[in-house]
Amino acid sequence: MRRLNVPAIVLGLLLLGAWELAARAGQNSFFPPFSTVLAALWANGGVIAAQIVDTLRRAAIGLAIAVAVMVPFGALIGRVRFLGDIFEPLVNMLRPIPPPAVAPIALLFAGTGDAGKIAMIVYTCAFPILIGAIDGVRANHPMLTNVGRSLRLSRLEIMAFIDLPAAMPIIMTGIRLAVAAALLVSVIAEMLLTTNGIGVYLLRSQENFRIADGLAGVVAIAVVGFLVNDLFLRLDRRLLAWHYATTGGAEGQG
Amino acid sequence: MTVPVLNATNVTKSLGGTPIIGGLTLSAEQGEFISVVGPSGCGKTTLLTCLSGLRNVDAGEVSFEGQKLDGPPDGMALIFQDYSRSLLPWRRNVDNVLFGMRRMTGVSAQEKRAKAMEMLAAVGLSKFETHFPWQVSGGMQQRVAIARALAARPHLLLLDEPLAAVDAQTRADIQDLLLSLARQFQKTCLLVTHDVDEAIYMADRVIVLSNRPTHVIADLQVPLPKPRDQIATRSEPEFLRLREKVLTLIRSMRTAA
Repeated sequence: MRRLNVPAIVLGLLLLGAWELAARAGQNSFFPPFSTVLAALWANGGVIAAQIVDTLRRAAIGLAIAVAVMVPFGALIGRVRFLGDIFEPLVNMLRPIPPPAVAPIALLFAGTGDAGKIAMIVYTCAFPILIGAIDGVRANHPMLTNVGRSLRLSRLEIMAFIDLPAAMPIIMTGIRLAVAAALLVSVIAEMLLTTNGIGVYLLRSQENFRIADGLAGVVAIAVVGFLVNDLFLRLDRRLLAWHYATTGGAEGQG
Repeated sequence: MTVPVLNATNVTKSLGGTPIIGGLTLSAEQGEFISVVGPSGCGKTTLLTCLSGLRNVDAGEVSFEGQKLDGPPDGMALIFQDYSRSLLPWRRNVDNVLFGMRRMTGVSAQEKRAKAMEMLAAVGLSKFETHFPWQVSGGMQQRVAIARALAARPHLLLLDEPLAAVDAQTRADIQDLLLSLARQFQKTCLLVTHDVDEAIYMADRVIVLSNRPTHVIADLQVPLPKPRDQIATRSEPEFLRLREKVLTLIRSMRTAA
């Protein structure tokens, strides 16, 4: 069990307290106090939870597809110079395009259902993972390849059993960036390609001036986002225990 | 005459336009322990990558058991200087040893596992099979690397300054371990080192290299009794005579450079 981070909790409580006091002093119906939002969260808990499950499901599917495709693809681009020469300019050109800009294309080809939204998520997650994989395998010490070759492994075996695991610390950083982006884009995609999910809930609350209900949804997203990030942080510490142990990184063998 | 285990004839090799190896010839007979020493930066490691098939030679020929080398061959194992990089830190020690046997055919997974355990026991690491490499000392990591190299039952062991990075006591222990393993499993060994004392202590024959582009300038028999002993062997008059001879050769090249 990790120790509670008391200063961070105190800061959070202070900020919520400040919100509560400022809203009560302001008496503006567009700025409800935290207690009202909490009540709205309690009242709409079931609806919000159901919507968030949809949002998370799409984020997870999109992330999984991006990992499954981009990790091996990035390793290939990073290791085979010819492929790097071909694909790297393309990657660098597509990368700065913001996800909402691809929404119309996603809508056109994949529709407003799950497919369109998942396509947007995959697109967003692809880049941090791809770049993590490319940089990761390139950062590997050349000696590792010699070890594999002296054990008479094939190029594919060297890639799968030596290059990729050795590059995992950098790939994991890319994946954790992608996790945050997946959640964000999942919500944005729902707001753009409306059907269901927490994004739609937010949009509807906003359109109907149900400010407290909307903020309750935002609070729920914040909490879920924090928990998902924490989950991946723990996963990272566990999978890469060897890395943190050999580099003296945070939390050691945690 | 029998075919030598390893034979290099007139090997030359340049890297990035710089000639590193210039017309080098050497051979290793079955069961021999050969040390290769030379002045710092003479291209010892490059030589080993050529002898192991990791690099192709520019001219001349390297053959292993009569076959011309084209990539690392079956039956040859390499032990690297940098053990912390040569072991895979995400695999347990026993799995690292197993990893060395991936290319072994006709052996069941159970037999491989038993063999891996046996090799770890042979290097004195019976209690550390399930540890990760980073959980044990540098000397122990190099023992794991030795176990991995031996597990695939190679005929020839190439050692690239394997003990340069460990402390003096550990070095002496692993020297004796290597000697007894080489004897026990009847391996032919070629040890590249910059440590003249180690070169003589370990070897049946010491090969002295020149500056770059490197070639053989002396090939000396080591008629010291076996098994070697860290104290007795190193105080033999013959040991001291050889030591003086090799050091003089190397010093003469340092002043020439």
